[in-house]
Order: sequence, then C-alpha cells, then structure tokens
Amino acid sequence: MNITDWIASLQSLRDRALGELADAQDMRQLDEWRVQYLGKKSDLTQISRQMGQLPAEERPVLGEHVNQVRSVLQDALTKKQEALHAAELERRFAAETIDVTAPGRRKPRGSMHPLTQIIEEIVEIFVAMGYEVAEGPEVETDEYNFEKLNLPKHHPARDMQDTFYLTESLLLRTQTSPMQVRTMERMRPNVPVKVIAPGKVYRRDEDDATHSHMFHQIEGLVVGEGIRMSDLKGTLELFARSVFGADQTVRLRPSFFPFTEPSAELDIRCTNCGGSGCRMCKDTGWLEILGCGMVHPRVLDGAGYDSRRFSGFAFGMGPERIAMLKYGIEDIRLLYQNDLRLLRQFHRVL
Amino acid sequence: MKLSYQWISQYVDLHDVSPEALAELLTRAGLEVEAVTARNQGVRGVVVGEVLDCQPHPNADRLRVCTVNVGAAEPSIIVCGASNVAVGQKVPTALPGAELPGGSIGVAKLRGVASHGMLCSAEELGLETKLLGKEQTEGLYLLPADAPVGADLVAYLHLDDVVLDIGLTPNRSDCLSIRGLAHEIAALLDRPTTFPERRTPTTEGPSPVSIRIETPLCARYEAQVFDGVAVGPSPVWMQMRLMAMGIRPISLPVDITNYVMLEWGQPLHAFDLDTVRQQTIVVRAGRAGETLVTLDGETRKLDEDTLVISDAERAIGIAGVMGGQNSEITAGTKSVVLESAAFDAVSVRRTGQRLGLKSEAQQRFEKGIDPNAITGALVRATELFAELTGATPVGAPVCVDGPGTKLSMAARAVPFQPARCNMLLGTDHGPELMRDVFRRLGFAVETETDDQWRVLVPPRRPDVVLEADLVEEVGRIAGYAAIPSTLPATSTTVGYRPPLQVLSRRTRNVLMAVGMNEVVTYTLTHPREVDALRVPADSPYRSMIPLLHPMSEERTALRTHMLPSLAEVARYNLAHGVSGGAIFEVGRVYWPTELPLRQQPCEHLQWAGLWFGELEPAVGERARPYDFYDAKGAIETWLEALGWLDDARFVPVRMHWLHPGRSAEVQILGQRVGTFGEVHPETAAALDIRRAVYAEFDLERLQALTKAEWKVQRLPKYPASRRDLAVLVDVGVPVQALLDAARDAAAEASILENCALFDIYQGKGVAEGQKSVAVAFRYRADDRTLTDDEIVQVEQRIVRAWADQFGATLRTV
Ligand SMILES: [Zn+2]
Repeated sequence: MNITDWIASLQSLRDRALGELADAQDMRQLDEWRVQYLGKKSDLTQISRQMGQLPAEERPVLGEHVNQVRSVLQDALTKKQEALHAAELERRFAAETIDVTAPGRRKPRGSMHPLTQIIEEIVEIFVAMGYEVAEGPEVETDEYNFEKLNLPKHHPARDMQDTFYLTESLLLRTQTSPMQVRTMERMRPNVPVKVIAPGKVYRRDEDDATHSHMFHQIEGLVVGEGIRMSDLKGTLELFARSVFGADQTVRLRPSFFPFTEPSAELDIRCTNCGGSGCRMCKDTGWLEILGCGMVHPRVLDGAGYDSRRFSGFAFGMGPERIAMLKYGIEDIRLLYQNDLRLLRQFHRVL
Repeated sequence: MKLSYQWISQYVDLHDVSPEALAELLTRAGLEVEAVTARNQGVRGVVVGEVLDCQPHPNADRLRVCTVNVGAAEPSIIVCGASNVAVGQKVPTALPGAELPGGSIGVAKLRGVASHGMLCSAEELGLETKLLGKEQTEGLYLLPADAPVGADLVAYLHLDDVVLDIGLTPNRSDCLSIRGLAHEIAALLDRPTTFPERRTPTTEGPSPVSIRIETPLCARYEAQVFDGVAVGPSPVWMQMRLMAMGIRPISLPVDITNYVMLEWGQPLHAFDLDTVRQQTIVVRAGRAGETLVTLDGETRKLDEDTLVISDAERAIGIAGVMGGQNSEITAGTKSVVLESAAFDAVSVRRTGQRLGLKSEAQQRFEKGIDPNAITGALVRATELFAELTGATPVGAPVCVDGPGTKLSMAARAVPFQPARCNMLLGTDHGPELMRDVFRRLGFAVETETDDQWRVLVPPRRPDVVLEADLVEEVGRIAGYAAIPSTLPATSTTVGYRPPLQVLSRRTRNVLMAVGMNEVVTYTLTHPREVDALRVPADSPYRSMIPLLHPMSEERTALRTHMLPSLAEVARYNLAHGVSGGAIFEVGRVYWPTELPLRQQPCEHLQWAGLWFGELEPAVGERARPYDFYDAKGAIETWLEALGWLDDARFVPVRMHWLHPGRSAEVQILGQRVGTFGEVHPETAAALDIRRAVYAEFDLERLQALTKAEWKVQRLPKYPASRRDLAVLVDVGVPVQALLDAARDAAAEASILENCALFDIYQGKGVAEGQKSVAVAFRYRADDRTLTDDEIVQVEQRIVRAWADQFGATLRTV
C-alpha cells in the first residue's frame, strides 16, 4: 500500500469510528469503542506500527495523519463522554425528583400571648430610654391605691373606679398608680426617678366587649428637678411613634385624675382612617390611648419629694386597648378566652 | 351632664358657634362631649290639630274616622287607630307631605276610607318616651288645651334643639349647671355671659316657718313659703327643657325645683307646709330606730350618720338625698315650703351609698355646691313659682346658718408664680396671656411682685385650690396644643429589669421556643375549683382570699393554684374543636398568711404548664396524646437554657393532683423548684380535661438560687471512645439511679466523660417484671489516648456496681 492508500484507509477508519461513536448509548459501549479505536490493539495503533514499511520521507506525513485522526477521535470521545455523563445525571435527577411543594419537617412553634407581646414591646421602649421596670402587689391597701394618690375616703372621684374590696382596708388594685408612690418612697431622696410598672389591675365591671373585671395597665413615672409637661408630651410622642408608626402625631386633651395636676388624655391619630374620621374614632380622627399628667403636688409631698423643688410626670395606659387597636381585636374577652386558634396566630417573632 | 344648646344660647352668644363646634370646643377644654343629638329626630310639617269629630270606621272596629281642624279652610279627614282619641283634643297632626322619624306621610286609604294625614304618638314624634308618663306614651301624644290650632309642632314643642352629652370629670361640679357651663363656655370663647336681670318678687314680713339647725353637717338652710300653689303640669317649654336635659317632668312645683337645679346647680326641695307639724323645720342627725318612707315608697332606716330634715315631731326627709312621703306635694297641696340648703358632701355621699340611692341632688351635694347659688336659686325659684303657679310668697325668705364652719362666700386667694407655671408646662407664655386667661375665667389677679401673684378664685370653682390647679387652667385655656414636645433633661439613667422579670422573660421565650402557647387567665376563681385538686380539707390551697362583693358567682376569690385556670383553657379549647395543646402561663397565686385577711398576702410568681389532648402530628406521623415525657422534655430544655439542667434532679413525688406513679419533683441544689406529672385521673375527670400533664415551677425560688460563674469547657485534645452497655433490671429501678451508680463507680478513674440512656425496652425477649436499659458511655482523658484496658476496667466496675445495687444482668446486644 502506498501512502495515498494509507491515508484513504485512515479516513475511512475515522469515519467508521465517528459513526459508531455517535451510536454509542452508554459508558460501557464507549469503553469498548475506546479499546477498539484508541486502544493498544486498535487499527490506528496497527497503522502506526506498520509505518516502518513506508519510505522514510513519507513516514512523517503518515504520522501526521495518524496523530490527526487520533486527536479527532480523542476529542470526539471526550465530547461524547461529557454528553453521556450529562444525560446520565439528567436521568438520575429525574428519578430523584421530589415534590418541593410538600410541607417541610418542622418543630411546632409556640406563641407569646398578644398582651405579653404588647407589654414587652412597650416596656422595652422605656427600658431603652433608661427607665427601671418595677412590679408591685395586686392586693393593695386602700392607702396606696387611693389615699396617697390624693383620693381620700368618700371622695366622689372614687366612683370613677368600682373596687373589689377584700377587707375594709385591703383591695385589688384598680390601677397601677400605687406604684408611683411605692417607687418614690423607695427611691427618695434620689432623682431622677424613672420607672415603668406593668401589671394586672381589677375593677368591679361586668365583662363585655369593652370591659373586663381584670385587665392590665402600664404606669410610667418620672420625677426630678425641672420636669415639665412638655417632657411628658415629647416622651409619649416617642412612644406613640415607636408603637404606632413613625408618622404618628399626638395631642394632649385636658382631663382629670386625682393624682395629677394638670391632667390630660393623650390622643393619637386614628390608626384606622389616618385622621379623616371613621366609626372607630367616632369621626373625630383621634383615638384616646392613655391618661397622664404632672404628678399632683400632694402626691409628691406625701411620697417625700418636696413639690416646691421637684416635679414629675406620670402616665398610665391599657395594653388591652393597644393590642385591640393594633391587631384588630374587637372584643376584649377574646384576650382572656385563650382560644388556641387565636393564640397560634401570634407565632410571629415581634 | 346633658346640655341643651337652646338653653345655653340664652346665656352665652353662640350665633356663630354650631352645636358641633361647641362640642369640639368643650372636648378640647377637658369637658368631653360624648354625643351630639338633635332633639328633632326628623319631624317636619306636623301641626297642632283639634279633633272636631270622631266616628267609628265603617269597615274596622279598631279604627276611627276623625275630622281634624288644622287651621286650614277645610278640616282634614284622618283615620286614627289610637284608643285615646276623643273630640276636643289637641293632637299632633302630620299632614300629607309631612316627615316623621319613621318616614313620610301621604294620603292613604285605610280599609276603604282615605286618610289625609296621621295623628301622632310620642314615639312616632321621636320624643324621649323614657321620660314620659304612661298616659303620654300610650296612644296619641295629647297636647295642652291652649295649644294654638295650626301651629307648627316643632316650634311649639321647641324641638329644634340639640343636646350635648358631656362626660364630666368629677372635679368639675361647677359644670353640673347651665350657669356653670355658661361661665366655662364664655371663658373659652372670651365672651361675656348674658344672664338676665331677675325680677325678684318682693317678699317681706315674718315667715310662717321657723328653722333650727342642730348639726354642723348643715352649713346653711334657707326657705321660702308660698301660699295658693296650683299643682298641675308645667308649661310645655319647661317640660321640653327638662326632657332635653334628661329629667322627667312630674308636676309644676317639682319641675320648677328641677329646672332651677339644672340652671343653678343648687338642689332644691319643695314640700307641703301643712304637713310640717308646728311649722318647725329641724335639721338634725337621725336617731337609732327611726324610719322614714321616702318618695319612692321605700321604708328607710335612719341612723346617727344620716342627716335628717324633720318637723317638730318626726323626720320628713333625708337631707340632700330624698324627701319623705309624709310631706310630699299632692294635688291638694296649697302651701309649699321651698328649701335651699348646704349639706355636708361626705355625709350626703355616705347616706346615699348606704341607701343605694344616687339622685341628681345627691350628686351635686357630694361634689360640692356653690355657696353663692343657695340664695340665687331660691330667688329664681320664687320668681318661677309666682309666675307659673300663681302662688304668693308668704313672708321673707328665712336663712339660718348651722353651728359648724361658716360658708365662705368670698373668693379664695391662691398664690401663683408665672415663671413656675411656664416651667411646669414647658411653655413660654407671657404674663399678659396668663392674666388674660384668669380674666376670661372670672378670676381676679392681685400682683405682689412680677413673679408672685395672688389669684382670687370665686367659690363656684371648688376644684381650683392650689397653684397646680391654676397652672392647669392656664394650660387648658391657652390650649394644650401650645405645649411643645421636649425630653426630660435629667442625668442619664440605665434601663433596668429586676432579676425576677428577666427570669420570667427568659422562661416565656424558652417555653415558646419549645412549641408552647402562652395564655393569660383570670386570677379570680371559685373556691370549689380547688376540690378537683383532691387536697385535704385543711390544705393551704383551700385558703383562698374571698372578695367582699363579687361581681359574678363564678369569680369570688383569688386563686391559690394554677391548674384550675389552665384546665379552664383546655376545656374551652377541647369544646371548640382544638384537638390539644401545650399551654403555659407565667402568673401569680395568692397565698394569705392568715384568714380573715389582715395584711397583704404573699403573691407568688409561678409558671405553670398544661399539655392536654393530642399532639398535632407531623406529616406521616400518627397523632398521639401528650405524655409525661413531652412535658419533661420542655422542662429539661427550659432548665438547660437557664443553665440549671446539670444541677437538676428529677425525683418521684406524690402530689394530690398528680398520678402517683407518673410525677416528679425537680430539685436544684437540694431545693424543690417545681413538680410535674400526669394529672391524677380523678382530678382530670373533675376538671373535665381527660388525660393531661401539668407542671408548676416556683420562679421566685429559682431566682433566689445563685449560680456559679459560667465558663466554657475546653475542647478535648484526645479522642473519645464510645461503649454501650445493655442490662436487664427490675422495672422499678429508675434510670437515674443506674446513671448515678455508673458515675459513682467510674468516679475514681475520672475517664467517664458522659453517660446517657439511649434505649429502654420492655416486652418480647425480656422477662415479665424486667426491662432492658441501654446506656451509652463516652470515655476520654485530658492527657492521653485511652487504651482498651483502661476502659474495660472502668466498665467492669460499672457492671459490678449495677449487679450489686440493682441485680442487673448484662444483656448481650
Ligand atoms: Zn378613624
């Protein structure tokens, strides 16, 4: 055979090999093909070995052709291997496919009661402002619940709160305000006094959609030199923006509490209508959320802070009302019914 | 307090202030207006008609065909179903085209007869039927005989009025009258009041009555006697004003006293002079055993604390609270005594409370009256008596002061510092503004120095006593809107939560993280709830603090135990289709030191948990009831999070409300911090919660335990070896005992790093009464890799200890 025959034979070898490679279905067939066409006993190897029979000057030419064919076959093999590998992975993935819409494996999550969440949120705001948290007795004396708060016996303002008495002088506290006096008595003569006191309170009310015989209050008190009513307003504005949104505005409205003078109610812009007026705010655009005022001079003097030198502000709010506004709960009794279908909605981390 | 817009408009110029604007003004000034209601509920085109003729309806027994003169050329034919219709009556007549609160009126055929309008009842006119007598609400609303035929009813009844309902705070007793409100509104609007000049009838000569005050609780008693009083209904305008203000019209003398009380804030009482024995009025304390039948027909017991009005022989009224039936004005009354007095606020309040009464008069006395109104009201009432009843005042008014503190008619001087006012408000109001506020309020100002004033507060404002009260007036009238927002300029403080608060918070967070739901329950409960706990009769849990006056039969005492509270939650949820749950509460129980209560009880902070019903299964799992180990797992996680788990020991315990074989107490540093276990089947049955697990932990005791500083453990340098042992022991041998014994046996060698249960099995392949316990051991030394030999030696010691102590035999796994 002359070199032209050799070359022709190489080309037909290449074409046959490529044809068979294209038909190969799996790695095993690929392996057989590699042995057949690129192995030690392959035709290509045979041809290289027989190159010696050619004249010396033709050997490199044929060698060049052999290498070219080998390289073409090698590349084709690599490509085929990759393609088969990819196809095989595809098949495996298809076989291993799961339903990602089926539910995950979860640990049941518990929940914090909405009132706790509101109380914690509010208390945390004041702790961050440097207030100390205080909790006091629910069974109070008439003295601390009323008398030291400028509500002597037989004062008509006692009608504002119907009281559960336990004895003539012991009662279930009707407000967290006794904590104002207890805190001042504990802290005197130090200033500033900055305290936030959450807790349960009780009133002799018939339970209905807006009344509960047991509910919660959060009392705040600041006493120092030069404490102003504007400080009260600024502090509560910060609080309102923190709880109800950064665009909240507040207003103070004159009111009456025996233990503050001047006294005020704090209104926020209606969270339902934004101030344009709706059923929830009785078309006023405002919602009353807490009572507050400057600590009454008689209360300050009685608790050991000279009212000519010191002044203070106090406020008391109802977390039930705030929870109801914030979460759209329309009946206060739902907060004490503890229906797990409601409580479990409070899974969220606040 | 209700306020008639028409009435107040007479005393302050409100031509440019609508009722709504007035409501807003009052609300912003601290007199919160809760409702603004038009008296006219939609009446238009109704006139006064006169029934000329009244014939039976040809086709209906209950209907009449009336001929009604409505002031037009021709009378109207109107079919009427009211049973009280009769010829000659003046009746409200709605002509075709008229509007009523219930709809429009047209010509309608009623059983074949065309009716040209409708005769109206009080309800159809939208009148306050609650304030009307039966005879005025059943059937047609009959008008007075002198009502002008054809007149517009709205104008005739003064229905074009608007009523403001003010939620008065108890300090503003001055606003319990139209005149007081006029002062307030005049100040807010900076307008003068326009009170009319009084045309006081001149009364002279000695009065037929003599008055004696025997108690310091009556500071003044004034009286005027009238003769020739005609007792009948009061004029329509007066009835309508009373109704607008929420007061029921009764009869002319009584209506006049109520009318003047509303106008002046001074309660008056009128009674029949001819019943006053010896024409002597004595104000005195009640006597033991004395009784009086009051105007409401009730027999009232009087006592030494009751302030009584009496004649020479017997009580005839309870001062400031209610008159007596024996001196009541009746249709036959001719001579009337009109009383205007100052009774002690606390005494009136206590008497009212004791008798369960809360009259308008009483409310005004107990909040404090204006001493200057005592005479003013009497003069005003005298004028109205003379004008409306045709009565003649007999003799001059009598005025007697009591033996106690004299009434102070003069203004009260209150010191005031403008600078301090600005400091307290945080404002910079000028002195002119403050003076102006006081001028508007009618408070005179005396200037001692620029910064030391004396403000003279008239006695009609008993709420303004201290400088702080004046500061509020300045803030209020100048407007709270003028107060800026600032923050306290105090030294910096660090926020602080006390340790028990921190512990409660961490507890809540951990229990929530292990899947429990927090509940908040009522702390008031019923003593019978404790019965379910199976505690003995003398158990401290039965010492519940009772309420003196409970609101409901269910909630009468403070809880001593949390299980009934949580069981109530479980019961509610099971009844509402919830299959089960793990709930907890951080709350207080109330343990008195003694009963009856003498001092504040111990309020003990606990957390309690209840696992009830079925655990909600994950996908592919089956539902199963909560059991002991669900609770224990939560408790272990909680203790671990607090850093106490390594120090905690679980020891079998007997609690009355727990299953004796399935309950444990948790000890930390030798102290019991809590107990938990399956609820005793009898307790569960009594609480109606089926099977459940209950836990309670004493947070205060746990908080009191001190924990050593905590440091991390160094990571090991040498490898550990794990070896397992499985033994057969009696079922009664606690796992904890096996683990403790293993640790003891291995203690000396100090290479046992950890040992833990990994399997426990009873049943096939294990003899009856025995269980197989498999424990995993991890051995490690700090300074070397352990040899098998070392480990086997320790292991053998453990096996020996188990055999010796528990008769355990090694099981080939
Ligand atoms: Zn709104």
